[in-house]
Amino acid sequence: MFEPVSNPLTPEAEQNLRELLKRCSPETVAAALHFRTTNDPAGVDIVVLGIIERFLDPEVRPRLRAGGDGLRIFDDLGIDSLTMVEVVMMVEEVLQIKINNEELRDLRTIGDIKVYINCRLKGLPLPERPVYVHVAEIVALLPQQPPFLFVQEATLRTDEARGVYKIAGDEFFLEGHFKNNPVLPASIMLEALGQLAVLYLLKAKRAELTSPVNPAKIFFTACDGVRCQRVCRPGDILTLVVKPKRIKHPLGRFQGHITCGTERVAYAEEITLTFDYLATEAPASSDGQPENITSAQTG
Amino acid sequence: MPKVVVSGLGFICPIGNDQETVTQSLRELRHGLSVYPRFEAPNIPVRVAGLVKDFVTDSPEPEDWKYPAMYKLRREVLRGFAPHVLYGYCALTQAIADAKLTPDDISNLDTGLFTASAGSSMLTYYNLGRMEKNGVARSTPMGVVSSVVGTLSYNLVAAFKVLGSSCGFASACASSGHALGFAWEEIASGRQKRMLVVGGEDGNLETILPFAAMRALSLNPNPDTASRPFDVARDGFVGAGGAVAMVLETEEEAVRRGAPVYCEMPGWGMASDGYNVAISHPEGSGLVQAMKLALRRSNLQPGDVDYINAHATSTPIGDTSEIRALKTVFGTNDAESPAISSTKALTGHGLSLASILEAGICALSIKHGFMPGSAHIQNLDPEAAGLNIIRTTVNERPQVVLSNSSGFGGANVALVFKAV
Repeated sequence: MFEPVSNPLTPEAEQNLRELLKRCSPETVAAALHFRTTNDPAGVDIVVLGIIERFLDPEVRPRLRAGGDGLRIFDDLGIDSLTMVEVVMMVEEVLQIKINNEELRDLRTIGDIKVYINCRLKGLPLPERPVYVHVAEIVALLPQQPPFLFVQEATLRTDEARGVYKIAGDEFFLEGHFKNNPVLPASIMLEALGQLAVLYLLKAKRAELTSPVNPAKIFFTACDGVRCQRVCRPGDILTLVVKPKRIKHPLGRFQGHITCGTERVAYAEEITLTFDYLATEAPASSDGQPENITSAQTG
Repeated sequence: MPKVVVSGLGFICPIGNDQETVTQSLRELRHGLSVYPRFEAPNIPVRVAGLVKDFVTDSPEPEDWKYPAMYKLRREVLRGFAPHVLYGYCALTQAIADAKLTPDDISNLDTGLFTASAGSSMLTYYNLGRMEKNGVARSTPMGVVSSVVGTLSYNLVAAFKVLGSSCGFASACASSGHALGFAWEEIASGRQKRMLVVGGEDGNLETILPFAAMRALSLNPNPDTASRPFDVARDGFVGAGGAVAMVLETEEEAVRRGAPVYCEMPGWGMASDGYNVAISHPEGSGLVQAMKLALRRSNLQPGDVDYINAHATSTPIGDTSEIRALKTVFGTNDAESPAISSTKALTGHGLSLASILEAGICALSIKHGFMPGSAHIQNLDPEAAGLNIIRTTVNERPQVVLSNSSGFGGANVALVFKAV
């Protein structure tokens, strides 16, 4: 909890703050004044989003307003690293905090920024630094390869993997799914989540993974509670998310979901993969059932 | 060797922000000088400047600037600009439209961009002050690219997605002459088919006033007489700002695209005084060589030249040097002398902008068939006897035109333009 204070700004400090935020919305100015006079972090998101909005060209602003936390600062809003420096300077000055360059590099989405600022203001430990995996590395790591690779970039944290798949429109299966009506098959959505989970097993740092996982020995074995909520077509950019529920050799269980912009696309209560280590030092544990694998190698 | 032609022009300058207005001002000898409000402080001895109209760029923050609505600029593009970069962007936009160039005609390996600029003293001063006051972590990340000498080049190359040769030139008042000359070399040598050339100056207090410390500025408070090159009572130059853009390309390219051709640029020349850091050689020795080399390169004789747009800035020493240089090359028989004028009486002296502004005036003079007079002369300097200094506009089309420029360090450039 924050310590509520009543700390009226001097007229000069208020004037400086208003001058600094002169191109921001009135709500932003009001929220900044509220924060500076009370230390109440509740409205800080409004301040931060208002400052980001101020640096956007008018036609991009609705995207920020509609966007949600997954909105990417560079790819979706076109904010390059120099503009990001301008955003940060203004946030620092308005909120009276210091953001260092190292930490700045890790902020990729609107959600990253919100979490970061909130941690700083509330004195909470900063979230762990995510690992970014670009397409070339994904191709190098995963057994799946184009034209059957559905993760184009990914961000890994201990408790989550996020990936992106843009439906190009020239995927071979769209020709027949459906006739004159290209729609991404639900099975491919599940496949994409499975591939992201494979990446997680191969790349994420996790105490339960006692040894490097063998990419040739990861298989999709089960999924439960799958719902598809939206039809996806060429041009859609899908955000894939898997969260590990339980990892214990030889099984990894994940919850997964897909969104497109702010819309829900699909949800899977549980996706289970079996895996084995590169070096076979440990005997297989008793709760695994690799002999029951029936699906093709996929995830 | 490919023939190099001028196929597009754009102007943001004290005598007009489009080609029609500039042409009209030149024909009617209407100057663009006025009392500059920022010079009205009691401790400033200078009053008059050549200001850009319809733009407000006093603030160090580009987002505060005002400019004509026809120019559309995204924040991402504008944020690294200095005032003269904005003028340059607008002038280049005009020149591109004038030359009928498509985005693909500009963004390819055969098209380059050369610029001339001395950077932005205003932004350098502001940004360093801010750095000293707030620390470097609270200084604008665009501080370097918006203010140092290359700013015009960096910004325009990025904004117009130029892929060919690019470079910024800084040789003071000869800068844009060098930019045009080397652009000509790019095309004549076959390295590029087309060159966009832009010269610009902020033309504000921070750019102009330091010249008063050299006693180079006119202290005359009357905008109608402050700039009077070749007048015996001239007392210094009037500083000016703006930007001019010119498209040079091979004749083959211009014809292929069906672009309007103003004139040919058959050659240019340059030479140096090797004399003084800031004062021109008393006999104009470097300028004599530059003019001779330019004519030789163009396969022309002094007798072929119909009109000379002089560098003459209205300083006592500089104009005299140029008068002597002109007499050395063209003789002292005023019946045989080419028509000579300095349009700085109308535009003021645009420093890095000056040479390309005057090159643009030469192209207009050939296209529209007139030679602008040398305005504001009440008593011609007796030293100029023997030269045909025209005091009113002559409505004849010159076939061959020479444009002179001289900069600090005695850097001299002469550009030649020829009717096609």
